[in-house]
Amino acid sequence: MTVRQLSESLALEVLSLPEPEREVCGAYAGDLLSWVMGRANADNVWVTVMTNANTVAVATLTDVSMVIVTDGSEMPPETLALAKEKGVNLARTKASSYEICVRLGGLLS
Amino acid sequence: MKELSLNILDIAQNSIRARATNVDIILKEDAETLTITVSDNGCGMKADFLKRVTDPFSTTRTTRKVGLGLPFFKMEAEMTGGSLDITSKSEEEHEDHGTVVTARFFKNHIDYIPLGNIIDTVCTLIHGAEEVDFLFLHEYGERSVMLSTREMREMLGDEVPLSSPEVLAWAREYLTEGYAELYR
Repeated sequence: MTVRQLSESLALEVLSLPEPEREVCGAYAGDLLSWVMGRANADNVWVTVMTNANTVAVATLTDVSMVIVTDGSEMPPETLALAKEKGVNLARTKASSYEICVRLGGLLS
Repeated sequence: MKELSLNILDIAQNSIRARATNVDIILKEDAETLTITVSDNGCGMKADFLKRVTDPFSTTRTTRKVGLGLPFFKMEAEMTGGSLDITSKSEEEHEDHGTVVTARFFKNHIDYIPLGNIIDTVCTLIHGAEEVDFLFLHEYGERSVMLSTREMREMLGDEVPLSSPEVLAWAREYLTEGYAELYR
């Protein structure tokens, strides 16, 4: 499944989608950035409430296919600009991380 | 990071990479606040690099394009309502070169990350950098814990390296007793 298809299936608010046809492989959920840095795998979808510049850095470093920001967490304009600059796929939802992970479980299995 | 002591380890390792021979790690704590200061006499940074150093996409490493030690430390301080400041004098421009990193935390904030195992951090630093002198000081109100590798070297003489198991075991024991007293 591509990030574009996933965004449509989950009705996400797409914020930055420089690589819409990127394939998704698995998912990781977490908000402690240093923890995520060591555990999220390349091509995972990363589900988090964190929205500062470090979030984009961790997404780049782990090479996740997409970041889904949950709970309608506020997105600072500078973070969004940075995601676009660094080519990071970024979307948002009002659903909680739990709700998104439950639906991801159905879609990605 | 799950413990602030791991951040302290990371910042002190920056000092070692900057070829510091003296690294001071000072913690000042009271009921509400914790201030962590790591200062060194390493090569320092010029103004243009200093401006970028808390930017997660800036780093001195070449193996990856993002360096996250200082950005994470800053974020963790700010998450508690605190702050992080860095001042630096580069060796190209100053005789008294070096870097000072100061982070302030409000301990009662729900997002405050605990200090964690600071004794492990200090022992790891002593073990890993034989040629560097560390001064560790943790003040809590009127009480304090202090360990100086310079003083340890003076007591031990040239024969016994600081990284020997006996010396490290002693340092661990000394700090453990000190902390039992500090938080009494």
